[in-house]
Amino acid sequence: MDRESTFSLRRCTWIWLIIMALTLITYSINRLGLSGLEITLGILLLALIKGHLIGAYFMGLNPVQGFWRWPVTIWLLLLGLLITIAFVLAEG
Amino acid sequence: MATLAQQDHPKYPPGDLAIWIFILAELAVFAIFFASYAFTRMNHVELFNQFQQQLDRDAALINTLALITGSYFVVRAVAAIREGASQICLRWLLAALGMGCLFLVVKSAEYSHHFSAGINLSTNSFYMFYLSLTFFHFMHVIMGMVILAAVALKARRGGYSIEDHTGVETGAAYWHMVDLVWLILFPLVYVMH
Amino acid sequence: MQYQSQMVAKPYFIAAIGLFILQILFGLIMGLQYVMGDFLFPEIPFNVARMVHTNALIIWLLMGFMGAAYYLVPEESETELFSPRLALITFWVFLGAAGLTVLGYLLVPYSTLAEITGNSILPTMGREFLEQPTITKIGIVIVALAFLFNIGMTVLKGRKTAITLVLLIGLLGLAVLFLFSFYNPDNLVLDKYFWWWVVHLWVEGGWELILGSILAFVLIKVTGVDREVIEKWLYIIIAMALISGIIGTGHHYFWIGVPEYWQWWGSIFSALEPLPFLMMTLFAFNMVKNRRRNHPNKAAVMWALGTTVLAFFGAGVWGFMHTLAPVNYYTHGSQLTAAHGHLAFFGAYAMIVLTIISYAMPLLRGRKAANSALSQKLEIWSFLLMSSSMVLITLLLTTAGVKQIMLQRMGEHPLPFMQVQEQLAIYFWLREGSGMLFLIGLIIYVASFFVGNSEPEAEVAA
Repeated sequence: MDRESTFSLRRCTWIWLIIMALTLITYSINRLGLSGLEITLGILLLALIKGHLIGAYFMGLNPVQGFWRWPVTIWLLLLGLLITIAFVLAEG
Repeated sequence: MATLAQQDHPKYPPGDLAIWIFILAELAVFAIFFASYAFTRMNHVELFNQFQQQLDRDAALINTLALITGSYFVVRAVAAIREGASQICLRWLLAALGMGCLFLVVKSAEYSHHFSAGINLSTNSFYMFYLSLTFFHFMHVIMGMVILAAVALKARRGGYSIEDHTGVETGAAYWHMVDLVWLILFPLVYVMH
Repeated sequence: MQYQSQMVAKPYFIAAIGLFILQILFGLIMGLQYVMGDFLFPEIPFNVARMVHTNALIIWLLMGFMGAAYYLVPEESETELFSPRLALITFWVFLGAAGLTVLGYLLVPYSTLAEITGNSILPTMGREFLEQPTITKIGIVIVALAFLFNIGMTVLKGRKTAITLVLLIGLLGLAVLFLFSFYNPDNLVLDKYFWWWVVHLWVEGGWELILGSILAFVLIKVTGVDREVIEKWLYIIIAMALISGIIGTGHHYFWIGVPEYWQWWGSIFSALEPLPFLMMTLFAFNMVKNRRRNHPNKAAVMWALGTTVLAFFGAGVWGFMHTLAPVNYYTHGSQLTAAHGHLAFFGAYAMIVLTIISYAMPLLRGRKAANSALSQKLEIWSFLLMSSSMVLITLLLTTAGVKQIMLQRMGEHPLPFMQVQEQLAIYFWLREGSGMLFLIGLIIYVASFFVGNSEPEAEVAA
């Protein structure tokens, strides 16, 4: 039986390392004192990607078909949109 | 195996569907909270930027890494029980609980620092949101740990098997949700300015 | 009916329906007083009619909850009630206290009632919905303790199920939270806190657990769906109800003089309060759709489905309409609040009591499963008439509320209260008409208990 298509531990290990790395990048950007709207939105994008990885692979939504494939993704997109709007408007 | 086709493309996510309905409701609360933070910040940009600088980002980094690692440990626990390895599953669950404890300790230290500085919900809008959001999340970490502990106890009794391990997946889904929310909370409240 | 002691539920249900009729009559009186201010003055002034209307509601719902508990706990626990005699004694004590209190409201001025009942020794009177004299309140506590003891002992000696557990927590909450009504601090903010901890935490906390467990019990019985499935839903629904409901208390704190963060906490959490009601609706319709059998008591199924729908609209949607602080700034204490109150109480609590009565009463009166087709037909008619006229009342009060808010609280030149009330008269007249329709529905409902008794039981169409 081939479980690779639905679940792979090796892949999850990689994803764990990637999310850790992305977190350190976010932290370093902040420590370096970089700022500006582009940087801020970039950080948000990194966070959304991390969230997507958690949903798709850790929570196991990637292979799901139909309605339940989407809640976490839609949640992230909607939230990303709202936060982006608020931060863009705050600049102007 | 007759259910193989189903397993490749299941209709429902792992774990009990009831926990997923609960997770959706929880995500909705956090989404409203996050959006409220962002839109309130719009009218108080200076204030939010100023007081965000006072937060301890090293502590937040440790906590983020702790939660992600905890989530990964739970993935290992689920992988173990899918092979029928109860004891290995139990060990990974305990490791995840350890990460949860680390989070609670670091976060409590942050709180005690704030409280000794006399900061509370009425100090200003930024602290109102910061304390409300993180404390609400803090309660969820505790809730997630209670669920994981219950799953671990049952795993120790050998209550799960290759065929029947929905309970482990259910607890795992909730724990990942706690992690997922923090992955947005961390950049939004501690970093983005 | 499987246990002899379930019979004690019967007087509770009958008294509940009696007080329900009283409530509606006084509702009609005060509805008319909205447009004819001196109707029945000085015999029954508006404030007295209102007190009887709201207090009768609370008492008949409590009667219904107790009857429901006495009916379903022995069946769930698979044992006879701990003490049927105690249940009957508490029934008469409760009914006597309720009757005397209503007579007190009607026969003497409220201040005299306060004086003769010794309110000065332990002042608890005068707060909305908690107007009962202190001795009545003490009576309620004694009745509640005896009731909890009786139910608790029955649960302890028998099978423990999720339904009895949730019901017991709800009833315990009901009793414990009522104790806050004995504390009457001088500080107005504190006073409001303690008052809401009774009023809000009852209807948006403890009572929701009672609602959930009664609904789950009836659904198990009429659909034959696995207990495990129903219990899982029950847990999720009550978890949501408690999280949103307890912190959602904040939506009452907006303007009572507490720190500003309550506007956020109250708004956000109470915005979620419709969710458990939505889940309850999905739950009920799903269970009925996936039913394992067709139950001959169609009326009970209808009440069960109806209560979830009207509770979702009344408590959920109509509550959400004015729960966000910036909206509530304009709407609080307007006819919109009255619209919400009417549909929420009827949908969530009146109808769940009518659901369990509809399910249990035929069995208590010796039927095997259901009433005759004829009396069910009447009951279903009364269901349709009462529900639709209550929806009508809600829509009319909503319209009146929106108009009131616009004239009285917004714009450059807001009008004074009484001037606005005059402009709303047409809606109040229509509301009174809808109230009459409701009364007709209620009469048909009562008639359904007396008609068709000699006819054979309804059976499931093959």
